[in-house]
Amino acid sequence: MDSKLVAIIQAEVPAQRDTALQLACQDLDLQGLLDECAMLDAFRREETNLYHRVRALFFLYAIHRYHLPDQLAAHQIGRIPFGGYEHLLKRRFHEAIDTFLDAMDMDGPGDALSSSLASAYHQLAFQTLADQVRRSVRTVRGNQWMFRMGHPADQPLRIRKEMLRESADGIQPILRERTPVRMDLSHSGWSDIFFLGMDFPDGARVLNVSVDLGVHGRDAVTRPPVEAYLRIIDEPVIRLTSVDLKASACIDSLGEVFDFAKDYLGLLKAAVIASGIVPPGIEGSGQKLSDLLERLVGKGLGIELVSSVNDIPKGSRLAVSTNLLAALIGVLMRATGQTDSLTGPLQENERRIVLARAVLGEWIGGSGGGWQDSGGVWPGIKLISGQVATADDPEHGISRGRLMPSHHVFDEEEIPASSRQALQDSLVLVHGGMAQNVGPILEMVTEKYLLRCGSEWTGRQEALALLDELIDALKRGDIKALGEATTRNFYGPLQTIIPWATNLFTETLIANAREHFGDDFWGFWMLGGMSGGGMGFIFAPHRKAEGQKKMQEFMTEAKAQLNHALPFAMDPVVYDFSINPHGTSADLLEPGGDSPATLPPSYYQITVPRLLGRDVAALTATQRGDLRQFAEASRTQPEFDTAVGTLFDTLFPSEHGSPSATDASLAELLKQNGFDKKLHDDVRADLLAGRIGLAQNRLPASAQIEDVGQDDVTDVSLLHTADATAEWGDATQRGRDAIASGEVAVVTLAAGAGSRWTGGAGTCKALNPFAPLDGSYRTFIETHLAKSRMTGQSAGTPVPHVFTTSYLTHEPTAAYLSSAENYNYPGPLVLSRGQSVGLRMIPTERDLRFAWEEVAQQQLDEQQQKVKESLHAALIHWSKNTGEASDYTDNLPLQCLHPVGHFFEIPNLLLNGKLRELLRDRPQLKTLLLHNIDTLGANVDPTLLGLHLESNKALTFEVITRRLEDRGGGLAYVDGHLRLVEGLAMPREDAEFKLSYYNSLTTWIDIDQLLTLFSLTRDDILNHDMQKISAGVHALAARLPTYLTLKEVKKRWGHGQEDVFPITQFEKIWGDMSMLPDVDCGYFVVPRLRGQQLKDPAQLDAWLRDGSADYIRTLCAWS
Amino acid sequence: MKPIKAVITAANPLERYLPLQTITDSHGDTKTALQIILDELFTAGLESVAVIIVPGAQDDYLRAAGPYGDKLVFIEQADPLGYGHAVWMARDYVGADPFVLLVGDHLYLSQTDQPCIEQVLDVASQHEGCVSAVQSTHESRLNLYGTVGVTRVYGSENCFEVQTVVEKPTPTRAEQDLIVPGLRHGNYLCFFGVHVLNGKVMDLLDEKVSALAAGDTLGLTETLAEVAASERYLAFQIDGTRFNLGRRYGLLRAEIGMALAGPHRDEILTSLINLLAVNK
Repeated sequence: MDSKLVAIIQAEVPAQRDTALQLACQDLDLQGLLDECAMLDAFRREETNLYHRVRALFFLYAIHRYHLPDQLAAHQIGRIPFGGYEHLLKRRFHEAIDTFLDAMDMDGPGDALSSSLASAYHQLAFQTLADQVRRSVRTVRGNQWMFRMGHPADQPLRIRKEMLRESADGIQPILRERTPVRMDLSHSGWSDIFFLGMDFPDGARVLNVSVDLGVHGRDAVTRPPVEAYLRIIDEPVIRLTSVDLKASACIDSLGEVFDFAKDYLGLLKAAVIASGIVPPGIEGSGQKLSDLLERLVGKGLGIELVSSVNDIPKGSRLAVSTNLLAALIGVLMRATGQTDSLTGPLQENERRIVLARAVLGEWIGGSGGGWQDSGGVWPGIKLISGQVATADDPEHGISRGRLMPSHHVFDEEEIPASSRQALQDSLVLVHGGMAQNVGPILEMVTEKYLLRCGSEWTGRQEALALLDELIDALKRGDIKALGEATTRNFYGPLQTIIPWATNLFTETLIANAREHFGDDFWGFWMLGGMSGGGMGFIFAPHRKAEGQKKMQEFMTEAKAQLNHALPFAMDPVVYDFSINPHGTSADLLEPGGDSPATLPPSYYQITVPRLLGRDVAALTATQRGDLRQFAEASRTQPEFDTAVGTLFDTLFPSEHGSPSATDASLAELLKQNGFDKKLHDDVRADLLAGRIGLAQNRLPASAQIEDVGQDDVTDVSLLHTADATAEWGDATQRGRDAIASGEVAVVTLAAGAGSRWTGGAGTCKALNPFAPLDGSYRTFIETHLAKSRMTGQSAGTPVPHVFTTSYLTHEPTAAYLSSAENYNYPGPLVLSRGQSVGLRMIPTERDLRFAWEEVAQQQLDEQQQKVKESLHAALIHWSKNTGEASDYTDNLPLQCLHPVGHFFEIPNLLLNGKLRELLRDRPQLKTLLLHNIDTLGANVDPTLLGLHLESNKALTFEVITRRLEDRGGGLAYVDGHLRLVEGLAMPREDAEFKLSYYNSLTTWIDIDQLLTLFSLTRDDILNHDMQKISAGVHALAARLPTYLTLKEVKKRWGHGQEDVFPITQFEKIWGDMSMLPDVDCGYFVVPRLRGQQLKDPAQLDAWLRDGSADYIRTLCAWS
Repeated sequence: MKPIKAVITAANPLERYLPLQTITDSHGDTKTALQIILDELFTAGLESVAVIIVPGAQDDYLRAAGPYGDKLVFIEQADPLGYGHAVWMARDYVGADPFVLLVGDHLYLSQTDQPCIEQVLDVASQHEGCVSAVQSTHESRLNLYGTVGVTRVYGSENCFEVQTVVEKPTPTRAEQDLIVPGLRHGNYLCFFGVHVLNGKVMDLLDEKVSALAAGDTLGLTETLAEVAASERYLAFQIDGTRFNLGRRYGLLRAEIGMALAGPHRDEILTSLINLLAVNK
């Protein structure tokens, strides 16, 4: 049998080759799809063409992720072999696939296995692509030798003599590289992703402009924002300093050069390696750095490398870090004779090798940028294009395109000076302040490209045509047409390919600009991978100045409105910019030269205080020279005018912003939010004594964990099928009656920060406008209300809806709902504020090592794994230095607190009187539906409510059949007792893989039976007998285990910088109610679309594509 | 081309004494380094040699030349303005004739029965343009030598047509422009220190010296690159070893190398083994 999908992959005719997978699969039944999978898998094992192989892998992924699950409704339950999962964690993808396929041969196809195969094929596809890029980077001519060099005696580079020309008073010359950043007018649908450029070189085209920057209102003039400085020093070490990050290191061993995450200097280290100073081949050789430096610069000498980006904030979408890497590599290559020119601009072949080295440096540093990101190295406006690999290229025969693109710099005959000026006169360049991870978007783009998804593929063709339109508009100097085209690009192809390129913040700004400026607002321009950070707004030239002022106002207002809903890393800024006509350029600063031979003023603020603290006799000649130069510069150089004052501020910090102020506000917050100091100290003592910890979360190793049987659950997974009416008609009617008579209310858990949603940014997940649904961005809170609205409308009785809140989310949620006028929700809308709070602690080394070394971890790609391990070592060092189990206070006060677990959300309703209000207003209220904020499919379904009422259980939990991504416990027999088990409590890692069902946490609660568990009655609640209520809550809480967890918390600092720390906190978990023998629990197996959770923005695209979003729409009434 | 003249540069003030060092050659005879070079030149059929020296060194060099004093012409280079300038100092001596160019601080040891300079002259005799002896050199030593980018001469195992010449390239540059098919990975063709050049080289040097600004120096590489661009210029991969006397232990290496190539090989080897046995 011939495979039609293999035929598509191998087709010579583009029209056939570009057939969308969806189209090709639409007529295939289950067996047809499985047959195609078998043939594709056989094909990808034997095929030598890399991109054919990768496309087959993506086809297999998509079939298992999107096409098979629809046809496997009768095969929902299945086991995932733990061995296959272990292979996945260790990146042994081939072995994982074989294990899953063997299981499929044994047990037949199933949803669980398909989810595992989808993950394995997806990861293998990206690994294959990444391996190819890495191989290409290593084989670029000019890079290869660095991987062969493994001994200092083989170091072929020598520092140029000019760098050793010491002045009479011992001052060394300084080589300074100044580099503009780049902005791209269009990346033709993210065609600058290496994978795309190498498979579809004809479609890889980017219009890229080198610009000098200044922060509007702060800097008097624009200048190349990126600067790298190099000089020879009289110690056999490498000194690295980042003046923006205020970080400095003195490196005296080779191992430390390769330790990227030890400090903030990973980028500088990557440059030292990628420039050949410490070539990658010497890593792990055991040789001495001093010997290498002796060969390079001379005996007893070393180098000092200093970076500066003029405080341009992170996440600007202007490729600041890649251009800084290129500048650092450039200055090091110049100084070691790897370019002809020590100073001035670079030649074309030199720019290309700097680009190749920057790509290498990004790989070494564990990050990755597009191939256009080093655009600042080139001058002016250029078209960067993918290149077909020829017989001379190492990529020939492997990929259609080369790794390295070509750069066509437009001269003034093509794009006249007047056009360039017109662009400068109209464009307002801004940083909106949002910090987002663009990585998932780039993965989505690659996937959609390789699958040739229909509308996205058409969008890509449109983006390519638009690029020509943009070039034409630039040539004509028609900036209005340019703005119209960039706007069309944003709302057309870009959002067709990736709807998440925009967000509510961006849309608000565009709407404001349009409203205020009318026809004088010429267009919007998305910079880089997504909007929200760096963006461009194009105005009629006579209103540009006003545009700069108003955009600052609009951004500040919008940020204030959305500050708790979206992750902002910094306050928005407006830039001044000018097109840089030179590209990267260097000059040699020597005493007596045109420019003073000094490093940036901020450099001295970092180093001088340290030098002043040392004995003068212990200073080297270079260090004494630095002090003399600083003194001289502060008398003579205007940019050093405030240097002495700032130095004293550094030496003797003022009282403002001192820890005591923070301590005071933190103490106030703790007091306001029911912090229990005694409990906190007890937890700390237990933690330090080893009585509690991550290892102690686990049930005893002797605990028997067994899967449940069909009789232990009520299978309602076919709830939405035609059979449901016949089977559960009575229950449905009973549920409808209960809703109509006002017997049910909804409780949505909205007290947490949604750590995974924003990576610990501490925003309010409930308020996040996560996706456009039916024409508008919808927050989680609005979506849940829309479901309750529809339930109420159907029943003719509004459903009360409670959102639980916390110290972090209460005020923002209240304010947001108030400004949105409660979304006009017709029923009671109640906020139930948390009554207690914990104070986060520094984790112990024991727990960190347990989490990173004992628990199976997802291994990363080779270089990223090295960086991760280096980071782990740094964080363990941090925990020991800061004090294990000490209070975590080095952050914003709100980021130091933590909610104490969702078990307390129901007790809070009792304690804060909100249940009392509900019962007083609706005495007939009998049932609560509790669910998590990210369980978007949960609603008051009449059938489920009826079944719950019929069962007369105290609690009925909803579970779903397991997929690979559903980690964190499940429904099990634990030593013979049926209950939910948290992932934290699993005695062994493989135990979870025996379980068929995953806990969605959605719970139907019988209020009266619940109150009995607390030893309470309705009257106690209605009388608000606090003493009795408190005693009941404490008594029940004491019966449940306390888990210690590690959470990621972001600390923001500087200009858009963020650090993520692992922090210890403790919590009690709602699902553990099922472990109490006196709680009568039932379990519903519900459809996956109802029970699945949306925890990570990276899930959004699949959520939109796999029918989940459509399902949610059917449950909602927006007005 | 069949040259009868040679030019030896020995005007580097830091290395003026190297050619005067006494050394035992491969026959076991004790001679100065200069005399060993001259032996090879005159045995190869050359008739006279110009030595470029620092002012005041002539008497020392005459003494070091042994029996060849009357075949030598001494030319003093008053200012050390670079290798190219030193070669240019011999322009009147060379005139329009072809000439052999060597450096005074190197000794050459052939791995065949035919001495190194003869090997080069053989190639030159069949070719009208310039010829430079080259040797495969590891990339870690590129910082010491001029390096050529070449294409192989059809049908020849060891002759190449020079496309470009780069002085002391970094491997970064070498990998882009100077890779030679057939050499081991990371190896390039670098100058061996023996050239057969024609009068055109002097013309080109003349132009450059005229344009030389105060404080600048003139190398030879740029001129050889121009030769490569304008005429057929051959590189000959010589079967021999060069000894740079100016390197650390350079003289010692040269002496051992020569001794191991001659009739006293066993004696020297025995001594070396003894040394190895008794010294830690």
